[in-house]
Amino acid sequence: MTSTAQELHPAPTLEPGRTILELKGLEKRYPGTHALKPTNLAFKASEIHAIVGENGAGKSTLIKLLTGVMPRTSGDVIWEGTPAALATPHEAMALGINAVHQEVVLCRHLTVAANMFLGEEASRFGILQQRAMVREAQKIIDDLGFDLPAHVVLGDLTIGQQQLIAAARATVRGTKFLIFDEPTAYLTRKEADQLFTLIRRLKGEGVTIIYISHRMEEVFELADRVSVLRDGTLVGTRNIAETNDAELVKMMINRSIEQVYHKEHFTPGATLLEARNLSGKGFENVSMTVRAGEIVGLYGLIGAGRSEFVTALYGRHRKSAGQILWEGKAVQVNSEHDAIRLGMALAPESRRDQGLCLNLPVGLNLNLPIYKRISSNLLISSAQEKTEADRQIANLRIKTPTRKALASSLSGGNQQKIVIGKWLAHGAKLFIFDEPTVGVDVGTKAEIYRLFSALLSNGAGIILISSYLPEVYELADTLHVFRRGKLVATHGFHTADHEEILTQALAEKQEKPGGQI
Amino acid sequence: MSTEAISAERPKRNYNALFGLTLLALLVLLWIILSVATPSFASANNISNLLRQGSMIAILAVGQTFVIITGGIDLSVGAVVGFATVIVAMLINAGVPIFLAILITLLVGVAIGMFHGFGIVKMGLPPFIITLATLTSLRGIGLLMTNGNSISINNDAFQLFSRSSFLGIPNLFWMVILVGIPAYIFLHHSRWGRYLFSVGSNAEASRLSGVNVQRTIYMAYTLSGLCAAFVGVLLASRIGIGNPTQAEGWELQAIASSVIGGTSLFGAVGSVHGPLLGAFILATINNGANLLNVNAFWQRIITGVLIIVIVYFDGLRRRGK
Ligand SMILES: Nc1ncnc2c1ncn2[C@@H]1O[C@H](COP(=O)(O)OP(=O)(O)OP(=O)(O)O)[C@@H](O)[C@H]1O
Ligand SMILES: [Mg+2]
Repeated sequence: MTSTAQELHPAPTLEPGRTILELKGLEKRYPGTHALKPTNLAFKASEIHAIVGENGAGKSTLIKLLTGVMPRTSGDVIWEGTPAALATPHEAMALGINAVHQEVVLCRHLTVAANMFLGEEASRFGILQQRAMVREAQKIIDDLGFDLPAHVVLGDLTIGQQQLIAAARATVRGTKFLIFDEPTAYLTRKEADQLFTLIRRLKGEGVTIIYISHRMEEVFELADRVSVLRDGTLVGTRNIAETNDAELVKMMINRSIEQVYHKEHFTPGATLLEARNLSGKGFENVSMTVRAGEIVGLYGLIGAGRSEFVTALYGRHRKSAGQILWEGKAVQVNSEHDAIRLGMALAPESRRDQGLCLNLPVGLNLNLPIYKRISSNLLISSAQEKTEADRQIANLRIKTPTRKALASSLSGGNQQKIVIGKWLAHGAKLFIFDEPTVGVDVGTKAEIYRLFSALLSNGAGIILISSYLPEVYELADTLHVFRRGKLVATHGFHTADHEEILTQALAEKQEKPGGQI
Repeated sequence: MSTEAISAERPKRNYNALFGLTLLALLVLLWIILSVATPSFASANNISNLLRQGSMIAILAVGQTFVIITGGIDLSVGAVVGFATVIVAMLINAGVPIFLAILITLLVGVAIGMFHGFGIVKMGLPPFIITLATLTSLRGIGLLMTNGNSISINNDAFQLFSRSSFLGIPNLFWMVILVGIPAYIFLHHSRWGRYLFSVGSNAEASRLSGVNVQRTIYMAYTLSGLCAAFVGVLLASRIGIGNPTQAEGWELQAIASSVIGGTSLFGAVGSVHGPLLGAFILATINNGANLLNVNAFWQRIITGVLIIVIVYFDGLRRRGK
C-alpha cells in the first residue's frame, strides 16, 4: 500500500513558480511541413499550462519532441537547468516526463494491468507476477477513482476508458512533468471530471501539467496559464485570469467567430428512417424516427449503447429483434452494403480502427466510398478523382501538403476531417455522425456545422452522436438520451436544460427496469 | 507554407516511379557488368534464355503482389504451376483442342483461387495456412493423377509456342507484357485496385466505407491462382511434360520478386512494375552466376543476401522521406 502511494505521489522537488523545463529555439521540420518554428517557452513547476491552437498548429509535434518520440530539427530543451537530449521516450521517462498521447498508444491485446506496467513488469526469478500486477493495478485505478477492472483486455474497453487507463499509466512512474494531449476528446463529462480531479491532485503534489484541448471551457476551468500556437509559431502566453475566450480564439485563428454552433431550423420532411423496438448487443428495445431536414442527437455516457445502436442500424452488427422502416417500407439491413444502397452513410467513432486507411493517401481515403461513381466502366477518371478530393480538402480545410500525402502524416483533427469528408460527396440521405468533431478545432467545427445545415437543406437527415453535451444540445432538433443500452428520454430542441439531461444520462436511481416505453 | 510544402512534396509524389527507375537502373547495371565479365552473357541466345527464365516468375509475382497488397500471402502458386502442367498435359494428350485445354486449365487455377478465398473469408483461416495446405495437397493430387510419372505431351504445336519468338523477342516474354499491362491498369487505374490497397490497409474502415471486403479478397486470390495456372501452361509448353513436382519453390521466388519490387508484406504497398523488375533481377543473378560458374549453393546464398539488402534500403528510403 505504502509503496503504491509513493509511486503515485512523487515528492515535489521544486518550489512552485520556478522554471522546470524551458524550450530554447525548439524547432521541427517534417518533409514538406515546417510543423514547429523555433520556439521559446518556459514551464513553471507545478503549474497547469494549457496549449491551444488550430488543427495542425504543431501542438502534438511539440509533445512528441518533449517525450523523445520524434527527434527535433534544432534548438534546446533545458530540464531543471541542464540541456536534455531527449532522444528516446525512455530518456524522457527517466527524467520524469510522461505523456498521454492523442492516440492511445497501448497494446490492445494485453490486459489493463499488463499495459499499466508495460516495460517495468514485476517479476520474480524472471517469471511475471501476473496476479500481483493485477492487484496492484486495480489498487491504483481504484485510488484514482476510476471505475474500471484491471484484469480485462484493453481492447474490450471503450476508447474513453482506454484513455483513462493511459492517464493512470502515466501517473505511476515518478512523474514530474505530465502532458495530456486532448485527453477528454472521447470522454463524457463524468469521466472528464474524474480526470480533472486527478490532474488537480497531481498539481497539488508538485507535478507540472501540460494540457492540450480544443475545449475552451476546460482550459478556463483547469489551467493557470495558456499558450497559443498558430501554424507552428507561438503567438503568445497568457495568465488565465487575464484573458478570455474571444481573445484566445482570435489568437488561434487570426479572426473571430461569432457563433460556433451554426443552427438552422428546417421544417422536417417525410420520415426517412424508423427503427422499431430494435435490440442487439449493447442496446435494447430502441425506437426512433429520423425525418428529412432534422438532426437527431443521441447523448449518453460512453458505453451507453449509442454506437452499438447505429452500427447495428447500419448493418455492421446483428440485430436480435425489431424492425427497420426506410421511407415507410420495412427493409432488411443485414450488411453495410444494404445500408449504403438504401442511402445511409456512417462516419464511425474511432478514426484509427474504423475510419481511415492510415498508410494510404488522403485522396484515396476521401474517395473510397465514391469510386464506383467516379469510374466509368472499369477505369477511374483521374480528373474526377482529383477534383473530388481537392474539393473536400478545401471545404473542410484539411491541412495537408497534397492529396497524395499519407493520412498518417496528418494531425489528429485533420484526420478526423477525412472521416467526415469522405461521405459528403456520396449523396446519402441519412448521415450518421458518431463523434464527428472529436479533436477538431473551433474554426473547423463551425465549418462542419455549416455543412450539416447544407446537407439538411438538401433534404438529408442526420443522426448525431456526441458525448459532448453542448454539441448535441445546440444542434439536435430531437435529442434522445441513452443510458445502459436503453433510450431513456427524448427532448425537443432546447426543451430541457443541461442539468436534466445529464441526470437522465447518469441517474441510477430513477431507473425502473423494463419500465421505459 | 504552402509553396514550400508543395516543392518539398514533389519527390514523394513520384516515389513509386522513382523506386521503379532505381530497380531498372540496378537491372541495367547488372547486365552491363555481366556483359563485361563474361562474353557469353550478351549473346542473343543467352538473353532470350534469360527472358524466358524470368518471364514465368514475373507473371507469378504479379498475382502474388495482388494478394500481398491485401495483407495476405499465397504459398500455393508453385504447386498450382506444377498441377496445371499435369492438367494441360492430360487434356492435350486426351485430344482436347489446345485452346480449350488451356482455357480449362486456367479455370482450374481460378477455382483453386476461389477455394483460397473461401477458406479465408468463410472459414476464417489465415492465408498462410490455407495456401500452405493447398501447396502440399495439390502436389499430392497431382502425383496421384500421374502415379508419380511425368506425362510427355504429344503435340508439337503446343511446345513450339514457348520456343519461338515474335519480332525477335521470345514469346514467353510477350506473355509478361500480355499480363503486365492489364494488371497495371487494374491495380492503378480501376476501383478494384484501390480496394485491394484499402483492404490491405484497414479492412474495417474499407468495409464501413462500402467496399466489399470479401469480394476483394476472393478477387486477389483468384487472380493469383489464374496467373499461376497460366504459368503452368507456359511451363508445360516449355518443357513438354506435365509433372506435379515441377516449379518447386517458385512460390518463394515469386514472393522474393514481389518484395524486391517494393511490395510490403504488411500490405497496402505495392505496384505491378516493381515485381516484374524484381523477377528479372533475380533471373539475371541466377543466369549470371551460372555463366560465371558460381557454385549453385552460393547462388542461393547470394539471392538471400540480395533480398535483405534491397528491402533494407527500400525501407530506409521510405522512412527517410
Ligand atoms: N509524421 C509526419 N510526417 C509529416 N508531417 C507531419 C507528421 N506529423 C505531423 N505532421 C504535420 O505537422 C503539422 C503539425 O501537426 P501536429 O500533429 O503537431 O498538429 P496539432 O496541433 O497536434 O493538431 P490537432 O489539433 O489536429 O491534433 C501538421 O501540418 C501535420 O500535417
Ligand atoms: Mg494533435
